Amino acid sequence: MLKTITRRGFLTGISGGIAAAALVPRFTWAAERGVEVPGKAGMIVRSARFLDLEMPAEFFSSWITPVPHFFVRNHMHEPSTFDADNWKLSISGEVERPLSISLRELAKVDAHTITNTLECAGNGRGFQQPKVPGVQWQRGAVGTARFTGPRLRDILQRAGIKASGKHVMFRGLDEVPGKVPPFIRSIPIEKATDADTLIATHMNGAVLARHHGFPARALVPGWIGAASCKWLTEIKVLDQEFDGNFMKPGYRMPNQLISPGGEVNSADTHAITSLGVKSVIAQPGDGSSVSSRPLRIHGAAWAGEAAVARLEISTDGGTTWRDARLGSQQARYAWRLWDHVWRPQEPGEYTIMCRATDDQGRTQPQSAAWNPSGYLYNAVDQVKIHVLA
Amino acid sequence: MCSRNRFRPRAWASAVVWLACSTLLQAQSPELPTGPVQAKVRTACTECHDSHIIVQQRLSNKAWSREVDKMIKWGAVVDSVDRNAFIDYLSVSFPPDKAPEPGERAGPGKKK
Ligand code: HEC
Repeated sequence: MLKTITRRGFLTGISGGIAAAALVPRFTWAAERGVEVPGKAGMIVRSARFLDLEMPAEFFSSWITPVPHFFVRNHMHEPSTFDADNWKLSISGEVERPLSISLRELAKVDAHTITNTLECAGNGRGFQQPKVPGVQWQRGAVGTARFTGPRLRDILQRAGIKASGKHVMFRGLDEVPGKVPPFIRSIPIEKATDADTLIATHMNGAVLARHHGFPARALVPGWIGAASCKWLTEIKVLDQEFDGNFMKPGYRMPNQLISPGGEVNSADTHAITSLGVKSVIAQPGDGSSVSSRPLRIHGAAWAGEAAVARLEISTDGGTTWRDARLGSQQARYAWRLWDHVWRPQEPGEYTIMCRATDDQGRTQPQSAAWNPSGYLYNAVDQVKIHVLA
Repeated sequence: MCSRNRFRPRAWASAVVWLACSTLLQAQSPELPTGPVQAKVRTACTECHDSHIIVQQRLSNKAWSREVDKMIKWGAVVDSVDRNAFIDYLSVSFPPDKAPEPGERAGPGKKK
């Protein structure tokens, strides 16, 4: 799972990436047409400014999501300028020796690669009933990529974590409009010093693209996407959880089950960390008409820090279930692709469902635990199809 | 403003400017439905983000009033006499029982 890449290749990548970033990622606009996003054609535009792009379900067919199909979730404006010579990553707070690292210095630290399924905590919010405010994601605020960069703990150890250091805060270069609170969050020291938590500079072997946090982002595997702060510029070791909008009230789950539409006592909540067990159907698409027999049903399943153990399919609206075949490609924090071949006996309307179970015995529920921000939606996925004669 | 950056090693290394082209981007913002405060909502509510994030919501009057108050706290400029009219306009235009917004696909951008 861990792979060390050569220092020379890494440095070449960095300088190449700076050049690419200068030339490639920018918007162009054509009158009377939709939103144009170079490098991201075909993605579902949930928001153009700030940029929020969802992967359409049919792209769930590749174990490693190509960068052009990888979802984008921005809370604010992407950095409008980037100064490669003066970029620094500072490490401060509860440390013995505060320090700041340049891009070149970062490139000299041993790099590791983690294949990780990154999912926005709000993925599936659009399916919550009653509706809740936020980006109305359906299935595709999730993707799997190989992330490469130094271990966060190697950088933290250079600074020397004091015994009082309990949480690690990340701040990015996002541009904050008006009086909006900045996008700052923290993770507990145990996860920050885990060997798999990285300061990623590369994604799928290429330098991070601008939309994905160039030149460096946190990569907190198995956890909600919000933990993996983009355009990283400041790391601070704290003696307690960071106190700010995106830790509280943002990104919290109620400790108790809430009746749909009900109120939550903010004191009775916890910060969201790992992703739950979840699966989605890539194809056939919801509402599609199909004539092929046999029909291949396929999709992806993931479980955050746990492993997917089983994927079941129902073609009769949940009355009977059969095991699907899990794909051979796997890595600790990565999704499994799955598929199932089905021979519909009769033409007509069918509801196809998929349901994943992980190695901790958690199974996707029939309906997701409702919460006022629509986080961690993981109900059994379903599509309705019409089988033609 | 959106013209192609030339690759000039020295120039870009010291300061690479990413072009956000935000004024042109506003033109790509979905139309807001006609209504008493349509123009005021467009001015106050598409300053920081475009209208995609607004038109995709399906919320009750109570939830819209929370959103409007949150955005005012974050810096949206809404005259206090207009607050209720904003909430009514948004609740009538984007209520819970309205069909969801179809997801628009991103285009590839200009090829040169
Ligand atoms: C000062 C900047 C600013 C202005 C002005 C503004 N917004 Fe927002 N709005 C934001 C930010 C920032 C977010 C995204 C927060 C996030 O993604 O976490 C947002 C998100 C939203 C959302 C998504 C739900 C949510 O709460 O994240 C809605 C709906 C919304 N705004 C409506 C409005 C309306 C209506 C107005 C006008 C009254 C408005 N906004 C004006 C900054 C602004």
